[in-house]
Amino acid sequence: MTSLTMPAVALERVSYHYPGTQAGVTDITLAIAPGELVVCLGPSGCGKTTLLRLIAGFVKPDSGLIRFNGEDVSRLSTRARKCGVVFQAYALFPHMRVWENVAYPLRVRGVEPAERRWRVSDMLKLVDLTELADRLPTQLSGGQQQRVALARALVFDPRALLLDEPLSALDAATRAAMRDEIRRIQRAQNIATLLITHDQDEALSLADRIVLLREGRLAQTGSPRELYDGPKNEFVAGFIGRANLLDAKVIDAQTVDTPIGRLRTPPHGRVAGSALRVMVRPERIEVVSAAKGENVFAAQVLRDRFFGATRQVEVAAGNGRLEIETAMRDDVANVRVPRDAIQFLNAP
Amino acid sequence: MFLRWVTAAYLVYLVVPIALLLVGSFGELWLNTLLPTGSTTQWYVDVAKDPSFRRAFVASLAVVAITCTACVLIGLPLAYALFQTESRRLRALVRVLYQLPVALPPLVLAFGFILVFSSDTLPWLGSIWLLAAGHIVLTLPYFLQAVVADMQRLGLRVLEDAAESLGSSGRQRFMHIVLPALRHSILAGLIIVAALSIGEFQFSNLVAGFLNRTYPVVLLQAFYGATGFACAATVILLTLALVAAVGGALAAGGATRMKAAAA
Repeated sequence: MTSLTMPAVALERVSYHYPGTQAGVTDITLAIAPGELVVCLGPSGCGKTTLLRLIAGFVKPDSGLIRFNGEDVSRLSTRARKCGVVFQAYALFPHMRVWENVAYPLRVRGVEPAERRWRVSDMLKLVDLTELADRLPTQLSGGQQQRVALARALVFDPRALLLDEPLSALDAATRAAMRDEIRRIQRAQNIATLLITHDQDEALSLADRIVLLREGRLAQTGSPRELYDGPKNEFVAGFIGRANLLDAKVIDAQTVDTPIGRLRTPPHGRVAGSALRVMVRPERIEVVSAAKGENVFAAQVLRDRFFGATRQVEVAAGNGRLEIETAMRDDVANVRVPRDAIQFLNAP
Repeated sequence: MFLRWVTAAYLVYLVVPIALLLVGSFGELWLNTLLPTGSTTQWYVDVAKDPSFRRAFVASLAVVAITCTACVLIGLPLAYALFQTESRRLRALVRVLYQLPVALPPLVLAFGFILVFSSDTLPWLGSIWLLAAGHIVLTLPYFLQAVVADMQRLGLRVLEDAAESLGSSGRQRFMHIVLPALRHSILAGLIIVAALSIGEFQFSNLVAGFLNRTYPVVLLQAFYGATGFACAATVILLTLALVAAVGGALAAGGATRMKAAAA
């Protein structure tokens, strides 16, 4: 591999289980390119944080290798790995001022005070905190603390940036702003980054690539669009975005029977009589006025929730139910399932 | 309104004996009256001149100093080790063990000390060091409790993880993060330790030798004499406890800051 294509961080078949438990991660293979932002997504307890702790060196893999730029670091201590870590509750040192917190990694490395000063002030400028350099962490808002934590994790030119649920402690408004802020700073530093979250919106909007974990194993890896538009199984479909999942029986090459009625589908390549699962995203289902046409079903509204920009409507159609997301304000009487909105899934 | 009355009543209950002591210590004669008659500072002069009180005063200060120092030197590493222990069961066991002296009457400890240290092989009964050793056993639980609780409250483990990821060594973490972050609870712990040690009577009364009696032990004698003398001697003990608590805490705080700054 040349240095151009060599991943900044690579995990090769890494497994780790907490002693005496089943919890941990199993057989994880993953690469983060230089400058890439990979988001590790999954429900709580799926091993996301374990993955971060493995890369940072807080725990050592039971098996498998961890490489930074090709170098095997699996047995190296946390200190020697030089990863910038931002913790969930920021872990700012409560007795140090903002600039002392940011200077700390330089101080323990014996960097000259003069150099320390300009590097800290550069970093504070990057995160827009120059004004607050003399504050104590308790005198800062959540978003400001977050930026101090970022500056502190980046000031010593780490080999990778690891963020553990960095936005979970913030209120909704700050979260959206901070999301863009993290992206901007990560771009400016052009550093390989792993961000842990359980929030799919965060993952979709931030990631170059998403790694979806389930019970310690990789469920699917890909760009946000790949995961949303081409989920491999029901778990992925249900975890990223919302999904209508229907049991279907194959009638012919492009027709299936479902609880809501007979559906014309793209070619699915299964033999007649076999069973499969059909997935349709709620926002792909159309509300139509005509009662006739391909894949049009009469619908009866069960629940109608108004969110301003969109409306979530649950309807009964045939013997089944569908969830619809639409911007239309009209009454819902007929719905159409476009043929190209239909996907086939393996069982979870 | 009810809460206020309860608080006020409790405060009166708390303050009145101390106020009476103060009044008594400056009163010339206090026999069968509600308040003493006449005023004088002679009782304080008498106490200050009394050689056994002077000796006890110094002994008490020495015991407090040794106890506080030992609590920091033993208690801090112990609290740190306890906090770092991964095993929940071990942590619970150690916690029960170090809390035992709280439940144990000091009398029991004193009898143990007398049994062990009056022998020919370990003839240390009556020494300052043995007194301090007992006080350490009796006060360490309170110190540990204050410090361990603070470690949990601060989320010290995450702070240490952060420091480690930022390149800090084990020693640097202890000096830069653990000690300064814990300074408030170390001070609070030492104030409790100093106050307990100064006022301790049960254990000291049995274990102290004739030469190294602590102040409360000698104080008991005062109550067989004049009321004013007893009051003055007690007021001195109160002041001593206050000064020792604040002074011990300040000194330890200063030392912590200096150590942290030097590292």
